[in-house]
Amino acid sequence: MIQEAYIYDAVRTPRARGKRGSGSLYEVRPVALLAHILKALQERNDLDTGSVDDLLIGCVSPVDDQGANIAKAALLYADWSYKVAGMQLNRFCASGLEAVNLAAAKVRSGWDQLVVAGGVESMSRVPIESDGGALLFDPDVMTKTSYIPQGVSADLIATIEGFTRETLDAYALQSQQRAWHAQENAYFQRSIIPVYDRNGLLIVDKDEHIRPNTSMEKLATLPAAFEKAGAAGFDAVAMRKYPQLERIHHLHTAGNSSGIVDGAALVLIGNREQGEALGLQARARILSVGTLGSEPTIMLQGPAPAARLALQRAGMSAADIDLWEMNEAFASPVLKFQRELEIEDDRLNVNGGAIAMGHPLGATGAMLLGTLLDELERRDLQTGLVTLCVGGGMGVATIIERV
Amino acid sequence: MIQYKKDTDNIVTLTLDMDQRNINIINHRIGQAFVPILQHLKDEKAKGQLRGIIITSAKKNFLVGGDLDHLYNEASMAESFEFSQTLQDFFRDLERPGVPVVAAINGTTLGTGFCLALACHHRIVLNRPDIRLGHPEVTLGLMPGSGGVIRLMWLLGIEKAFAVLTSGRRYRPEEALAVGIIDELASTETEMMERARLWLKERQEGRRRWDTADGRIPEGTARDHSIARKIQILAAGLIRDNHGNYPAPRAILTTLSEGSKVDFDTACRIESRYFAELVRSKEARNMTKAFWFDFQSIKSGERRPKGFGRFRARKVGIIGAGMMGSGIALTCLLHGLEVILKDVSKPIADRGKEYTLGRLKALLQSGTITAEDEKNMLARIHTSESSEDFISCDLVIEAVFENAMVKTKVIKEAEMFMDQYAFLASNTVSIPITELGKNFNRSDNFVGLHFFAPVDEVPLVEIVKGQQTSEETIARAYDFVRTIGKTPIIVKDTWGFYVSRVRNTFLLEGIQMLKEGYSPALIENLSLQAGMPIGALALADSLSLPMVLKYEGQAAAFYGNKYIQHPAVGVLTQMVDELGRPGKTKLAGFYDYQIDGSSQLWQQLGEHFPVQQQTADRREIIERFLFAQVIEAVWCMQEGIIQTVAEANLGSIYGWGFPSYKGGVLQYVNDYGPKAFIDRCRHYESLHGPRFKVPSLLRKQVEKGELPPKSNGTSG
Repeated sequence: MIQEAYIYDAVRTPRARGKRGSGSLYEVRPVALLAHILKALQERNDLDTGSVDDLLIGCVSPVDDQGANIAKAALLYADWSYKVAGMQLNRFCASGLEAVNLAAAKVRSGWDQLVVAGGVESMSRVPIESDGGALLFDPDVMTKTSYIPQGVSADLIATIEGFTRETLDAYALQSQQRAWHAQENAYFQRSIIPVYDRNGLLIVDKDEHIRPNTSMEKLATLPAAFEKAGAAGFDAVAMRKYPQLERIHHLHTAGNSSGIVDGAALVLIGNREQGEALGLQARARILSVGTLGSEPTIMLQGPAPAARLALQRAGMSAADIDLWEMNEAFASPVLKFQRELEIEDDRLNVNGGAIAMGHPLGATGAMLLGTLLDELERRDLQTGLVTLCVGGGMGVATIIERV
Repeated sequence: MIQYKKDTDNIVTLTLDMDQRNINIINHRIGQAFVPILQHLKDEKAKGQLRGIIITSAKKNFLVGGDLDHLYNEASMAESFEFSQTLQDFFRDLERPGVPVVAAINGTTLGTGFCLALACHHRIVLNRPDIRLGHPEVTLGLMPGSGGVIRLMWLLGIEKAFAVLTSGRRYRPEEALAVGIIDELASTETEMMERARLWLKERQEGRRRWDTADGRIPEGTARDHSIARKIQILAAGLIRDNHGNYPAPRAILTTLSEGSKVDFDTACRIESRYFAELVRSKEARNMTKAFWFDFQSIKSGERRPKGFGRFRARKVGIIGAGMMGSGIALTCLLHGLEVILKDVSKPIADRGKEYTLGRLKALLQSGTITAEDEKNMLARIHTSESSEDFISCDLVIEAVFENAMVKTKVIKEAEMFMDQYAFLASNTVSIPITELGKNFNRSDNFVGLHFFAPVDEVPLVEIVKGQQTSEETIARAYDFVRTIGKTPIIVKDTWGFYVSRVRNTFLLEGIQMLKEGYSPALIENLSLQAGMPIGALALADSLSLPMVLKYEGQAAAFYGNKYIQHPAVGVLTQMVDELGRPGKTKLAGFYDYQIDGSSQLWQQLGEHFPVQQQTADRREIIERFLFAQVIEAVWCMQEGIIQTVAEANLGSIYGWGFPSYKGGVLQYVNDYGPKAFIDRCRHYESLHGPRFKVPSLLRKQVEKGELPPKSNGTSG
């Protein structure tokens, strides 16, 4: 007997520049960031933490400050009941959404009643790739599997799809404008939890990576970010798989790729029974998920098949989805995804995305889910789909429906 | 095997002196020979009667090898691994903290021999110009397997060790010191031994960095993020540079990466495992066949006519100071010869000399030659506008442009001033030597010497024997080509000789694919990924399409009614006659060429040859490129154009860059499996026509189990 999995709440920190010097959250430990929103979630839902079964936390570089199961560390640090279990997981960029999907699966199986899922990444404290790893750094593995850095994959997609630099920059500009508009009109207010220091003094209360003053002219001046890696050999690696290309056009820059930021997010997921017992109001229902692998060298094309899989499982078609969130890791995988599923401009990433606001790796998936839910409610629409492209060539998608 | 001598200071000198060989080669026997000596030395040490050990050689070399004969005759993977481990243990015993050991290196030390040198606590090298040091294993598709990789890493750091190991360079003593793989130089043998003794007397104990508590690999290990990133880039560079076709550099990089993360002895065991894998790899076998066995067979003079004394050229006349002429001049200079460079006027000849001097400057800057070398060479090149200056030349090579009348005229002129012992050569690419020779008084002294551009880089010369060319002239030409450091192959005087004829099948196959509707980028990329040095279409452009058509015309004339036209010929005529795109010289061929040297595929190519194949079978495309060449090479054997397997293989690698991981154009049949190769030819014949028909020579030999293919032809 399948239980439905309901979303009761979603919270997140602001996304702060993931840099020493200019980033507000650089001074905050990731465990503190996570503990902070756990407390906020508890307070705003008046939650008896002992009634939560598990905490699932996506984190892509789980070493150093983020090592040794940061989920359990944060639970204890936040004074949650020790009865709550905690686990850290890694599905690269989709970790936060994977945590949500796993929580939903646990609830739907009937084995757990109430699960908190989310993610955390302090990219300023624990830089990307700090955890090393065979996929990226073992020469035998990388050469055998034709690994290339994601930026080169993004350029490869742009080359194959014939996207120009102007197309990518125009998309980036739109992301900035939409994010700025959403921030100015407080569309993110329902989910954002301002971060305070241990004395209760405010550190940051809104996303700080957005650049409202950017323009096509400014974007055009930025240098190609992955040309050097391509010339060092990764273009040749890519062309082993895609020999029909004369060359790879390096079009992605810091301006049309996702920003490096710090942040954390949580989603409260449970069955109806437990929600009612705790007096929680269900906001949406998780309809279906899709998880799969895709060609690993081009790497970032998993979302379309993952979305199709989720749609098929939900008995839906793309036309049935009111709003879409596809993570803006780079401009080209989003445009490719949009082209493949024939999504109208005003239904996809309607409040901007990671190009404007940044991509705190392990947390992003959970953040996008919250953003989507808030916007469905604001517009009074019903269905939404969240998806992310994933390192190693994977895709994860989740469909929700308001209740 | 090993001489033992102990002096009054309790210093033992072990002198390597292998029986039944004129050089010391390391093998399983030398390891065993050391066992009782090491035991004896341990006893001496226990009695306090051993101060230190010097290892040196009684031969001209110190120690070289791997014993390749032994290595390749080993029965199993386990034995390859055991062989490596036995040497590892022996070297480890030698260097374990205790009695200090010095390698007093008085001769060339390469490969596993250098592993021994690296396992000594200190290396002093006699600074003699002929001595070479280092790890050339990678050039045979191998890597060191006796701790060389790991010890170099501990001495130099991962990045530098990778550069040394993958370059395969044989360093001169000064270079080796600068790179950091040896410790000291000595100018005489006596000084070397004195320095060795002094070094030993100055210390109580020999101890390597990796045997100390705080020893660190220079620059760090693969656990450090900055090093891990460098390794990542190096790995990508391997794909860029060799498309992943060569397993040895990858094994070296992986051994360094893995080996930096574990303790020294485990790292050495990991090295042995990769080594054993490489020894048994097809690539190493192919490369060893080509660069060791085939090379030795050519070097031994197997094909040089017997009974003629060695010809020692001292002075060479060169007619034509263009790119080929000045390139030949440069090569002669680099090998100690005197050169007269002649052209129609002194200023033109001087321009050729300028080119040569420019190349010498570059070689000086790269450290390949010394300032003194350069000075000597400058004194040995003279320019001229008169054939009279050829009067004392031992040979004269004409390298004027490809026109029979002009060539005849300049050779006739030269002939007037040359004595009867001198010989004449033409560097023609397509004019029959027999035809040209008819015009000269001493056509028996006339031979074809086909050089390839750039002359100082391509290590091959085709010696073309005309009908009148004497055996003695062939022997002399052979000796001359060896003198200038090139590999000679002797070929029959028919259309295209050997190299051009086989090479053309590669580019024609690429052009045919264009006609079939494959995208030009795909054709070019898969050419490179097959291991060819240049894309098929780019090669056609650089040769010029009319030249390729000229060869086809010669083939048509030669075979008469048996000639079957290659289906790609129509594309060539269309490109040249209708589209006005004859190739690189006119900046317009399959590519567009810019003045600055850059190029891209011609944008309109798709209008004339539309892309119709939306998918491509990568394996089939690559095989078609290689099979086309292999089959043509077998025809050359069958027609007696080329005589030996060694010449066919090395000629293909050196002459036009047939991929060396396949061991050359005939070794490819063995690599593929002879029966499987024939079956596959039939498959391609059914799809693509008679150019994939198996020549009867190969079919019969495979049926009889005779391989590799042997020549059918009469001598040259």
